[in-house]
Amino acid sequence: MKRNKISNIQIKALIITSIVGVGVLSLPSDVALILDNDGWIAIVLSGLITIPFIVMIDRIFKMYPNKNFFQIGREVLSPILFDLFLIIISVYVILLLAYTTRTFAEVIKAYLLETTPTEIIIITMLFAVSYIARGKLEDIARMALIIYPIIIGFIIFLLVINLPNMDYTHIYPIFDIKFKAMPKATIAALFSYIGYEFIILALPYVEDNKQTLSYSLRGMFFIIGIYLIIFFITLSQYGIDQLKREIWPSIAVIKEVDLPGYFLENLDGIIMAAWVMVVFGTLGPFLYSSGLILSNLLKTKTHSFFIPYLLPIIYIIGLLPENMVQADEILGNMVNYFAIVSIMAIPAIIFIVGYIKKRRQKV
Amino acid sequence: MGEIVSKDLNKNIETLKTIFKDCDDISYRFIEIGSNHKTQASLVFHDGLIDKHLISEYAIQILLTTSDDEGFDLTSFKSNLLDTLAKEAIAIPGVEEEEDIDKIVDAVLSGETALLVDRADKGLILSSRGWATRGIGEPQTETVVRGPRDGFSETLKINATLVRRRIRDPKLKVKNMQIGRRSKTDISLMYIEDIVDEKLLGEVKKRLDDIDIDAIIDSSMLEHLIEDNYLSPFPQIENTERPDTVAASLYEGRVAILVDNTPFALIVPATIGTVLQSSEDYYSRWTITTIIRLLRIIAGFLATLSPALYIAITSFHPGLIPTRLTYYVAASRINVPFPAVVEAFLMEITIELLRESGTRISGPIGTTIGIVGGLIIGQAAVEAGIVSPLMIIIVAITTIAAFALPSYELASGLRVCRFIFMILAAILGLYGVMLGIIIMSTHMIRLNSFGIPFLSPYTGLGLEEGDLKDTLVKAPLQKLQLRPTFTFPKNKRRMKKR
Repeated sequence: MKRNKISNIQIKALIITSIVGVGVLSLPSDVALILDNDGWIAIVLSGLITIPFIVMIDRIFKMYPNKNFFQIGREVLSPILFDLFLIIISVYVILLLAYTTRTFAEVIKAYLLETTPTEIIIITMLFAVSYIARGKLEDIARMALIIYPIIIGFIIFLLVINLPNMDYTHIYPIFDIKFKAMPKATIAALFSYIGYEFIILALPYVEDNKQTLSYSLRGMFFIIGIYLIIFFITLSQYGIDQLKREIWPSIAVIKEVDLPGYFLENLDGIIMAAWVMVVFGTLGPFLYSSGLILSNLLKTKTHSFFIPYLLPIIYIIGLLPENMVQADEILGNMVNYFAIVSIMAIPAIIFIVGYIKKRRQKV
Repeated sequence: MGEIVSKDLNKNIETLKTIFKDCDDISYRFIEIGSNHKTQASLVFHDGLIDKHLISEYAIQILLTTSDDEGFDLTSFKSNLLDTLAKEAIAIPGVEEEEDIDKIVDAVLSGETALLVDRADKGLILSSRGWATRGIGEPQTETVVRGPRDGFSETLKINATLVRRRIRDPKLKVKNMQIGRRSKTDISLMYIEDIVDEKLLGEVKKRLDDIDIDAIIDSSMLEHLIEDNYLSPFPQIENTERPDTVAASLYEGRVAILVDNTPFALIVPATIGTVLQSSEDYYSRWTITTIIRLLRIIAGFLATLSPALYIAITSFHPGLIPTRLTYYVAASRINVPFPAVVEAFLMEITIELLRESGTRISGPIGTTIGIVGGLIIGQAAVEAGIVSPLMIIIVAITTIAAFALPSYELASGLRVCRFIFMILAAILGLYGVMLGIIIMSTHMIRLNSFGIPFLSPYTGLGLEEGDLKDTLVKAPLQKLQLRPTFTFPKNKRRMKKR
């Protein structure tokens, strides 16, 4: 590995850490509500939908080597149009940050600190995360590699403690597919795959970009695997009817575990501790990118300048919904719509326009 | 450039005497040399810094006996006077001509002897350094069960020799320089030319050159001046008392900085992997070393987090531990009048006091402190109901875990963090502890040691190249055929492929 470069394994870790965050908590019940036992199909489908976009992002940087996202965007599209796009993306990132911190605070409140106000949890978390967000891109990539084993450990831990008393009959009936509900479920699952777009900032600094695509796709399949494991664990532990009623089944499933021996009695603490780190791995890259996008939009030298000013905005937006249901309905949906534009449409447009321009140049 | 040695001996002596005004530790010895004692000469030296036997036997005596030699008429020599003296009379290995008075002054102050001869426009510097030294003793801080027992002492020359004895390779370079406007402390920069990364070496040289301070008393001062982030509680430069550690590091492509007057050598760059290593790791079998290395990582977490977790669990989340344990904790705390955080701070401060007093006072009084502090206070505090027995166990584990870390500096850094974690745990419980971990890990992630990420290889540098084989675990020597990657060595392979 070279100095001040990002290695491919860091890219893989970055994809995984920035995607796995708060979405994973509610994903099993979200898809189960629409598709019942076949929710896993939606998980796989929406995971596969992201793959063409990852390929496109990779191709953009292969077409324009040694340039970063902002330079390519300004060159391919007109600067004004690209600035407009950047505004949309920054709104999306800020909404996403607000929604993530709000959900995070609600979960912490529910499982760890019943009496502490949500505001305190949001503020403290934002402050803690802003430290890494003010760092360099390499710092974020290094952070991803620290969080990555935590996620693996988290999944292995979930598997090991759940395996002894899972009821596999809950999985059936399998392949009783409701085709009509499929698109809706896929879009609902899509929120859990938000985050892969962070590589759009990291890819130009990768030391060996030939291997990058395969590493990022491996990361993506790893996530699909994680989500499937969690879906089946929760489904077999709860059964479909109870699963639909749970808000955050992925964490609540721990309470169902009843292992012999006293030491492994209450495992929420371990799981929550690991999950705080996982959310840190999501918030860090996003807070960093919001600062970076704003600094490019307003043409300042450093991105860290904006981060202190972004914190109150995120805080206020995060606190606007009165409860978690509202947060899901308003913020969650807005994030979803903005995400479709920012992480799918915009990279696709840049790729297509860039591709056509390159074609013309050759002819 | 200052004044130049003049042809008149008396004038030179006058100049030196003005410079050394009120420096009563400087001695002047006048002799008359050459046939029939025709030529005046003077030796200028520092009483305690020179090897008196050497100077009297091989310089003064020989110079005086040549006066009986009829052919040795110094008055007939002109420009080659000093040269002849050096070649034909003085029997000391190191002799050098010098014309700058300031340089002569420096030489005298560092233990050389200046020989000034009448009618010569230069002085002769006889290397006569030989002061009382402590000798080579066993290292005080890094003892090993198996392995070499020689440690550095306060004399740079001896220290550099100890390293050279382990690397008989002309590629081992020893660059000498002086830092400190007044102290003029000798510094030796050691590296193996065809292994070390040029960028690293250049950066070290640049940072050393940038230092402008009047005195360097100990290598730790130098360390603070050249490290990347001086505000950090964690060390970014490794220090060691052991020549074998320095030699092994040089073979890894790192750079060692030896400082005069201190038995601690500095090694750059340092990473979390290197500061968690002990030299004995390489002398023991790989199985036990692997276990011990994993144990050290656990020790690091215990030393930092255990009191904070105690506070968080007892005062915020009693439900997180098994029910029976909860009852036990509650029962043991039933007589304790304080909240857990006060209890924890009380005991932690007591143990820090004990540690501090024990460090400053060693020997029989130190043992007394250990007994009074450890046994009596601990026992009495529990019986008086001020702290719970569980708290005593936690504090003891914390302290022992901190001592299990090979790097004292890292342990001190974690000690500082421990108190911050305790405060966070008292305010926000387990979530506070996690916030602390986020901030601490962010800090460590952003920390660099001469441009090398401090958390390498865990954060990527060298991860795929296999640096984990010699950091997280210790692979058998046969499997460590390559040098570690984090130093960017020019020569990668250290063992023949087999």
